[in-house]
Amino acid sequence: MRRYSSDWYWYYAINYTLVIIIIFPIYWTLISSFKKPSELITSEPTFYPHDLTLQYYDQIWNFDRLKRLQDAESDDSESSGVEIESKFRLDGEGVRRPFMNSAIVSAGTIILTIIVCTLGGYSLTVLNTPLKNFFFLLVILPILIPGISLIIPLYKLLKDLGLTNTHLGLILIHTCGMLPLGIFMMRNAFNSIPSSLREVAMLEGSSELKIITSVMLPLAIPGLLTVMVFAMYVSWNDYIYAFIFINSPENTMLNISLMKIALGGSQFEMKWGSLTAGSIVSFLPIIIFYTFLQQYFVRGVTGSAVKE
Amino acid sequence: MSRLRKEQLVGLLMVSPALILLAVFFLYPLVNSFYMSFHKWPLFGKPKWVGLDNYIFMFQDERFWESLKFTFVYTLTVTPMLFVVAIGTALLCNAKAWGTTFFRSIYFLPVVMSFATASYVWLWLYSEMYGVIVYALEFFGFGGENKNLNVWKTGTSSMWAVNAMVTWKFSGIQMIILIAGLQAIRDDYYEASKLMGASRWQTIWNVTLPLLRPSIALALILSIAGSIQAYEQFVIMTRGGPSNSTKTLVMHTVDMGFDYFKLGPAASLGVIIMIILFVLTVIQLRLFRKNY
Repeated sequence: MRRYSSDWYWYYAINYTLVIIIIFPIYWTLISSFKKPSELITSEPTFYPHDLTLQYYDQIWNFDRLKRLQDAESDDSESSGVEIESKFRLDGEGVRRPFMNSAIVSAGTIILTIIVCTLGGYSLTVLNTPLKNFFFLLVILPILIPGISLIIPLYKLLKDLGLTNTHLGLILIHTCGMLPLGIFMMRNAFNSIPSSLREVAMLEGSSELKIITSVMLPLAIPGLLTVMVFAMYVSWNDYIYAFIFINSPENTMLNISLMKIALGGSQFEMKWGSLTAGSIVSFLPIIIFYTFLQQYFVRGVTGSAVKE
Repeated sequence: MSRLRKEQLVGLLMVSPALILLAVFFLYPLVNSFYMSFHKWPLFGKPKWVGLDNYIFMFQDERFWESLKFTFVYTLTVTPMLFVVAIGTALLCNAKAWGTTFFRSIYFLPVVMSFATASYVWLWLYSEMYGVIVYALEFFGFGGENKNLNVWKTGTSSMWAVNAMVTWKFSGIQMIILIAGLQAIRDDYYEASKLMGASRWQTIWNVTLPLLRPSIALALILSIAGSIQAYEQFVIMTRGGPSNSTKTLVMHTVDMGFDYFKLGPAASLGVIIMIILFVLTVIQLRLFRKNY
């Protein structure tokens, strides 16, 4: 019995050590983003902030490019406007606008994914759609070929359609990437609903759309939430598509804008305060989702790996 | 119109948004990537058929072989790291003990962070002047006399630094897959092994791991396929440096297409990546089919 309890002592010691290791980078980033510059930029780091400040959040959120330029010009009247312009070119636009861009793309992806996958899943499960097994295989096909290997033809396609630099282009690409998992999940969800429910609703004279929204979807909420959370995860966390398909500063996505903040006009000095604050801003929405919808998150993110 | 006929029409109508999306944003680019890889793409004017020239150009390019080699080295080093952490945390979380749900949700936490954000976070931890990791290493006496410990100095140290970040960020997914596998193992096996007087390590080695083989295979394939697609972590943390020693296959493709505007060779690189990943996924699906 004694030996047993010492085992548990080790069990919890190991687990809590791991918990600390896992949490530490996030904790460190969080406290760094609240530290005053003198405390942040020092070779003697402090393990909790002695003096809290919101200045980095203020800087990146309320970033005013024009004001920055004017300040720089009045400070430094000798150098020409062009020089200052180029000095601040990499400064980006702060994170407010990119945050909104990412929010729009994520919301758009979630809504479109839910609509397309619900309709598709319903049609391929419940209805007597012709060729439904063939269509299902077709929809599942992209699992075999990750989108990253199609990046060049996708770029060309978006360019031909005039969708580069648009939110819509990203939304459509993310939604298409969501199809295999989304339709698969919705098919499973609809499959588990007894068909008698639909028949009763049909006898009452409901239309197919009415049956979906009032009978089927309420019973398919776990599947729906999984699809929603995964769509959020994919679109909010995307980097490569946002990097390649968006060039204009107004439409920059959040993850890309962090890069511009980090460089801050120079290749060699990083703006650590703004970067840590920006990282927290980009992590915040997803951590809120994770806290409330954890089980769907785990299912969605691993489900993407473990289909069929 | 009969009821069945109407239902078929409604069905086709409902599935059509998915099929249209698929045709435009997947099937067309898929076909086009082969088409593009056999053509020359001048900035102006029409594409010209060049046969295998793009592939020949690509294979003769030293940068291709370097990035391919680096991608393989990265895959081969990060996969065991991920696996060791994943199997360890999975076994810990599978114990019948208080708090496993909490531990599991913490171990999964970094997975939800984007690769980009995780890279920025670790860039700060690794900072040469003010980073806490360098501080800790120097505190424990690893800094040496020259006192400037820069993990980005050589390609090898850069890669290990990124590997550590990826292990932190990504082992949670494999952990969940392995936990699912562990939970499918029936208690009888453990009881039998206990009756035979096996120690805990003997049980893990001779009972748990062999029964877990399908999940292990799946976790490994996933990690390999994921590492071959590596992009963000290197673009952000090393920018391919020092002197292009940490450039991955995907980075090389993006550079070729969007820095040098050589769309033909870039498309043929895409085809190569596609084939590698396709083979891996087919293996993955076969493993999965066979065992479940």
